[in-house]
Amino acid sequence: MKTTKDTSAAGNGGDVRLTGISKTYGSFTAVHPLDLTVPQGSFFALLGASGCGKTTTLRMIAGLEEPTAGTVHLGDQDVTALPPYKRPVNTVFQSYALFPHLDIFENVAFGLRRRGIKSVKKQVDEMLELVQLGEQARKKPHQLSGGQQQRVAVARALINHPKVLLLDEPLGALDLKLRRQMQLELKRIQTEVGITFVHVTHDQEEAMTMADTVAVMNAGRVEQLGTPADLYENPRTTFVANFLGTSNFIEAEVDSASGDEIVLRAGGGKLILPGARNSAPTTAGGKVLVGVRPEKISLTPADDAGEIPEGRNRITGRIADSSFIGVSTQFVVDSPVCSDFEVYVQNIDRDARLRPGAEVVLHWNPAHTFGLDAAQSLLAGTVGSAGVETVAEEVAR
Amino acid sequence: MTFVNWLKRHLVVLAGLLTLAYLLLPNVVVTVFSFNNPKGRFNYTWQEFSTEAWQDPCGVSGLCASLSLSLQLALWATLGATLLGTMIAFALVRYRFRARGAVNSLIFLPMAMPEVVMAASLLTLFLNMGAQLGFWTILIAHIMFCLSFVVVAVKARVMSMDPRLEQAAQDLYAGPVQTFLRVTLPIAAPGIAAGALLAFALSFDDFIITNFNAGSTVTFPMFVWGSAQRGTPVQINVIGTAMFVIAVTLVLVSMVVGKRRNRQKA
Repeated sequence: MKTTKDTSAAGNGGDVRLTGISKTYGSFTAVHPLDLTVPQGSFFALLGASGCGKTTTLRMIAGLEEPTAGTVHLGDQDVTALPPYKRPVNTVFQSYALFPHLDIFENVAFGLRRRGIKSVKKQVDEMLELVQLGEQARKKPHQLSGGQQQRVAVARALINHPKVLLLDEPLGALDLKLRRQMQLELKRIQTEVGITFVHVTHDQEEAMTMADTVAVMNAGRVEQLGTPADLYENPRTTFVANFLGTSNFIEAEVDSASGDEIVLRAGGGKLILPGARNSAPTTAGGKVLVGVRPEKISLTPADDAGEIPEGRNRITGRIADSSFIGVSTQFVVDSPVCSDFEVYVQNIDRDARLRPGAEVVLHWNPAHTFGLDAAQSLLAGTVGSAGVETVAEEVAR
Repeated sequence: MTFVNWLKRHLVVLAGLLTLAYLLLPNVVVTVFSFNNPKGRFNYTWQEFSTEAWQDPCGVSGLCASLSLSLQLALWATLGATLLGTMIAFALVRYRFRARGAVNSLIFLPMAMPEVVMAASLLTLFLNMGAQLGFWTILIAHIMFCLSFVVVAVKARVMSMDPRLEQAAQDLYAGPVQTFLRVTLPIAAPGIAAGALLAFALSFDDFIITNFNAGSTVTFPMFVWGSAQRGTPVQINVIGTAMFVIAVTLVLVSMVVGKRRNRQKA
């Protein structure tokens, strides 16, 4: 992912190492003991729904929250006992927390002045140029738009050249278009300054576009950690499968497992699952959740079923619903093995026969199948299930 | 018809002007009568125009002494009440401690209690303690009843303050003292200023509580009351008018300065 990050040359001064770190409030455990290493110079995202402990984790790195147990290391330095104003770490707060009584220039200069640096003008001007706010230096925060305030918040943190920049849902308050623009902007700045970024977000798209490594958190634990592509292609739990994008699940029974290929039975048909992509136990007769992403599936009208190449996983069903959204058409297919099967078809050659009520065959390359332990909720991580997007904003404690 | 339409359109303005007149009429009367040259001892009927009183505002014995005493009392009471009130307000908003709820409601009791009751009970207390009535007893009483108002004003401001602002300051290398001086205090300042102004005004013109606990000391409101029974010198109107003018001027100046500063910033 990362192009030019020679960690051996830069040293590991910007590594963030969390060891057995946890946080409990009374009887509520916000973060379960957690080990995490964020390498120097990487763009790391903590992704999860409201209340999953991601902000608490971030605040423990900043020093704004004291861990119940465990240690925080920055490079070789143990900072667990240091107050926030002694840590070489800066934060871009949710809703920015710009000082309303100071103008933009003084907001950005705040950190430098507190460290006793006298001549701040040059640095502040340069930093304001970097975020394209040179003209606004003498305005008060409330006179700026949301996107401008966001850039001030970034400038105010970055001017201190922290070893690690922490971003707490920094784009949450912006509208979609501005958010896209700021994502690219932040990514550009990160590549330019080479500082370690730890980014907290509940927006899976944002995490995937920006971060080199994403840690998906759920109920105070890291559910899975990896590159965005790895998480998307090889989710190891239904939570990750549902939280990042959409997944279809079929409950299947193990027929035979022979090394790199597992044969499964589902509703009379057979499905092939690559052994390497399975995280469920495969005793014969055991249950496995077979997952496949909606865009990997092809739809063929039942009349043309003979044209489907051999060796592909296939399921029959009837189109329940279809919605045209421009680049693709999204179908919902009812099948005996799974109701509400979601299929996204690119609008290259639109087949007029694919409309609600039509009998179809769904088929896909077995390599695109993943297997999960059947002993977990199918709905974990979907919108509307407990803890996901039902609470609007994670309240900063 | 046209008149009805005109009335409809300007009803709000008209009502506003009438209310303003209702509020300001007593001040106008005070001002006008400060230029009176009364015949007897009472300045209640208009006789003729004169600037005599304005040329010698301290011409009545005891008046300027009482005025100076009232100003001193108001300044000290404001200082004491603002300091204590601000600390109480911060404690009530920021910290969770035992009996916080009780303190929170008890602090407002002086505002709700009839002044006479408070005055009488304070006097009883002072007498039982054998305290010498005078400047200090008045000051203690004033700080006491100003406190609640300061707490209310500051508390509202502190409650609306985003705790993340202070966290941001800490994150930007400001220690606890720096954070308080550079961020907390400046942001709470309007609330503190409002509380202080309120305290000054309350202390300066308090009569009932002061009258009970003053002993032989005479503050300006007490002087006015005393002279109203024996005859009102024009100087009282002069002082009243002067105070009104000074207050209005201060407000106007602060408004103009504020506007100009905003325009420069923008």
